[in-house]
Amino acid sequence: MADNWQFVAAAYGLAAAVLGGYWRRLVRLDRKLAAAQVRRRNRPADKIQ
Amino acid sequence: MTRALGWLATLGLIGGLVMGFGVAPREVTQGNVQRIMYLHVPTAWVAYLAFGIVFFASIGYLWTRSDAADRLARASAEAGVIFTGVTITAGSIWGKPTWGTWWTWDARLTSAAIMFVMYLGYLLLRGIIEEPEQAARYSAVLGIVAALDVPLVHFSVYWWRTLHQPPTVMKPGPVNMPPAILAALLVNVVAFTLLYTYFVVKRVNTLRREHEVLA
Repeated sequence: MADNWQFVAAAYGLAAAVLGGYWRRLVRLDRKLAAAQVRRRNRPADKIQ
Repeated sequence: MTRALGWLATLGLIGGLVMGFGVAPREVTQGNVQRIMYLHVPTAWVAYLAFGIVFFASIGYLWTRSDAADRLARASAEAGVIFTGVTITAGSIWGKPTWGTWWTWDARLTSAAIMFVMYLGYLLLRGIIEEPEQAARYSAVLGIVAALDVPLVHFSVYWWRTLHQPPTVMKPGPVNMPPAILAALLVNVVAFTLLYTYFVVKRVNTLRREHEVLA
């Protein structure tokens, strides 16, 4: 049977794109939330109320 | 700890690629396209694991009303959907050169597609209900019900006549597989399990932070 390397490349390439995309989403979300937490901590006390 | 887990998963995946492409031999009947197995089987195993965790965390949530259990269920469902998507796609790509078709309504493929759609529904349900306690409660019920499909997916190859081959490793009795192929498969199972764990830990952390920011 032929080796069909193009199918192997497609399967691994798509998996890398999906898993890498999800990882990037998590990292971005993490950074966004960390920044929001810092902003929240730095808010003056009178504005919190 | 999360960072260390991420590096461990990366090293595991590199090890998995080395084992799958460098150590495991070319399969005699299928040729090199069989190397898709080192992606397809571990991601399927991780999907089972992820939905098993959703099941137990959902029971835990309904029992204790603990936010931690709810966050774990949600994070695991998300990762499970991602890994199921990869399993189905890799299987479809593998199916074309070996079966001659991208897709067939075979019992294993259909039950796996139903599992994917059910957990996608789980995530949508979480998204459409605005009240957090209600969203957690409804999705916990769905997380328990949807888990019934997981054994159906696994045993479908025994219960119905299917094109998909039966399990070679996750079955009773000795494993009939050359040691190098088995080793490559097991390294990849460990690597993808580490990646799943990293995703879940990171997602649980972001969900906790989200809760703190919105509180």
